[in-house]
Amino acid sequence: MSDERVVEIVPAAGLHARPAALFVETVTDHDADVEVGPPEGDLVPAKSMIAVTSLGVGQGDELRLVADGPEAGTVLDELERILTTPEDELEA
Amino acid sequence: MASRTLTGTGATPRAGVGTVVWYDPEVTLPEADEPVDAAAERDRFADAVETARAELEQERDATAERVGEEEAAIFDAHIQFLEDPTIADAVEASIDDGHAAARAVDDAFGEHIEQFEGMDGRMAERADDLRDVRDRLLRLLTGGDRVNLADLPEGSVVLAERLTPSETAQLDPETVAGFATVTGGRTSHAAIFARSLALPAVVGVGAALNDVADGTEVVVDGDSGELLVEPDEDEREAARADEGADVVAAPVATSDGRDIEVAANVGRPEELEPAADRGADGVGLYRTEFLFLDRDSPPGEDEQYEAIRDALNTFPDGRVVVRTLDIGGDKQVPYLDLPDEANPFLGERGIRRSLGPDSELFATQLRALLRAGANGAGELNVMFPLVATVEELEAAIAAVDDAAADLDDRGVDYERPSLGVMVETPSAVFMAEAFAERVDFLSIGTNDLTQYVMAADRENERTGDLHDPTHPGVVRAIARTVEGAHEHDAWVGMCGEMAGDPAVTELLVGLGLDELSMSAVTIPDVKAAVRETEYSAARERADSARRVATRSELHDTLQ
Repeated sequence: MSDERVVEIVPAAGLHARPAALFVETVTDHDADVEVGPPEGDLVPAKSMIAVTSLGVGQGDELRLVADGPEAGTVLDELERILTTPEDELEA
Repeated sequence: MASRTLTGTGATPRAGVGTVVWYDPEVTLPEADEPVDAAAERDRFADAVETARAELEQERDATAERVGEEEAAIFDAHIQFLEDPTIADAVEASIDDGHAAARAVDDAFGEHIEQFEGMDGRMAERADDLRDVRDRLLRLLTGGDRVNLADLPEGSVVLAERLTPSETAQLDPETVAGFATVTGGRTSHAAIFARSLALPAVVGVGAALNDVADGTEVVVDGDSGELLVEPDEDEREAARADEGADVVAAPVATSDGRDIEVAANVGRPEELEPAADRGADGVGLYRTEFLFLDRDSPPGEDEQYEAIRDALNTFPDGRVVVRTLDIGGDKQVPYLDLPDEANPFLGERGIRRSLGPDSELFATQLRALLRAGANGAGELNVMFPLVATVEELEAAIAAVDDAAADLDDRGVDYERPSLGVMVETPSAVFMAEAFAERVDFLSIGTNDLTQYVMAADRENERTGDLHDPTHPGVVRAIARTVEGAHEHDAWVGMCGEMAGDPAVTELLVGLGLDELSMSAVTIPDVKAAVRETEYSAARERADSARRVATRSELHDTLQ
C-alpha cells in the first residue's frame, strides 16, 4: 500500500532538533518505507536523521512525504501531525 | 624555568597552578593495517551503540529535570544521529572490509561532518552534533574513560580540545585550578563563562596542547595567555600569589571623592550571585540574548519577566542595565531564521532587527521588562544595542510607549525604566549629544566600537593588533562620547572588555566615565584602581592622552 502527501512545516525550528528527532523516531516505529524531500526534488530516506537534517527544512517550507507498506497511511497521519504542530504543543 | 611554555589567548586575568586532567582524551585509532576479527568488531560496535544510547537517555532525563525539556531535546537528536541506518550501514561495510570498529566509525561520521561543515550557520551546528556522537562512540570503543567535570580532584587543570558553555559551567572554581583548550578565542562563550567564574583559563593554545600529558604539573596564566609546563618553584609561587585584590562590597570613589560605579556584565542567571560576591555595585550589561540561545523557540513574556526580576532582586540597592535583544553578527539563533548576509557585522543586527523582523519579540521583551521594573527591588535601566540614528532611537522609545499602553490595557502593574543607548557605531559617537538629549544614559561598548572605528574584525588574528581600544582613534571616540553625554546631563558608562582592565582605569576615570562594567572576575582589581586614582590628576593625564598621535605615546601616558 502506498500513499503520499505534501505538508507545510509549522514548527519555528523547521525540521531540526526535537521535531526532527520525533519525525525519524516515528518513521522507525512503523512498518512502512518512508521517503521525504522537497515537492519537486529528490527524496531521501526518512529513517535517516542525517538525511532528514540535510534537507535544511525551515518553517513555512513544503515537504513531500511518500510512504509504502502496511502502515503507510498511519505513519503519514502521524508525521503530518508532527510537522504541523508548534513545538511547545508537541507531545513526545 | 618551565620545561616548556605554550602560548594561547588569556581568557581570565588570573593564574592557577595544578595537575593536568584531560577531558575527552585524544582517541588513538587502531592502525589501519592491524588485522581484525570482523564478527567481533561488529559486536563491539553494537555494544557501543547500545551503551551510548543508555548514556544519552540518562543525560537527557537529567538535563530535562535540572534545566528544562527544551535544552534536553538536543539529546533526542543525538540519539537519532547515533541510530542513523546510514551510519550503521557504512560502519558495518567498513568492518567487513577489514577495518576495526573505531576506524570504521571515524570514517563513517567524517564524511557527513564535512558535508555539514560546508553549509551555512545553523546547518553547520549539526556538524558539532555529529562530532559529539562520534566522539562518544570512539571513547566507548577505545576504552577511554570520560572524566566527570563536576567531580574533579582538588587542584585539577582541565585540558580539552574545546569546552562548551555547559561543560564550563560544571567546573567548580573551588577545586579546579584552571583550564586550557586547543581551540577557541577570547570572546568564545567558554572564555566569557570562565571570566564570570573567575577561573584561570587560556584558550586557543593549538595542537601543541595535545603533547601535555595527564598528570603533568602546569601553570595556567590567563594574564599572559601562557601555559607553563613543569613550572619551577618560583613560577608556582607566582601563580599561587596571584589571588588579585580583595573584594570590596561597598561602592568606591577616587581618593579625591568622585564616585565611580563598578558593575558586572552578566549573561546568565547563574552569574548574578558570583557577581554580587565579587563586589559588583549592580549590573552594567545584562545580555538578554542568552535567554534566547540554545533552545528551539523564544522565551515567553513571563519567563523573561522572571529572569529580569531575579536580576533586580540580586541588587536591591543597585542599578541593573538590561540590553534589549542583540541578535545577528556572530550571534545566531536557529529559530529566528536569520538571513545569510555577506557582511553580518554590517548587516541586520541589534536594534535593526528589533525594529524590523523581530518587532514582535521586541514588544514581548519590553512588556516583560516594564513589568519587572515594577516588581524587582533594584533600579531597572534599559538600553538599545547598535543604534546609529536618532530615528532608530525614537522608534525604540515609541515601542516602549506601546508596551506601556498594552500593559495599561491589560491592567498589569508596570514601571517605565530609565532608557539608554549603547555607543558602538561611529555614528553614535558623532551623535552622542543628540542621543543624550533623548535618554538618561549612554553606555560605550568598546568591543564593537573598536571593531567599527578601526574597521578590524575582533575574531581575525591578522587584524588583532588593530582591534585594540588604546589606539588614539578609539580613545578620542570615547572622549567625544563622554562630552556629548555630559552636555545633556546623561551619565555615561562603559561595558566592553576595556572597562575591566585595571591598567586603563585611571585613563577612563580621567576621561569622565561615571560607570565601568566588566566580567565579575576583575571587579576587585578595578575597584582598587579607582580608589588609588586621584580624579584631578587623572583628568590632566587623560587630557594629554586624548591629544597623542600614536598608540605607543598613549601607552606612555598610562605609565
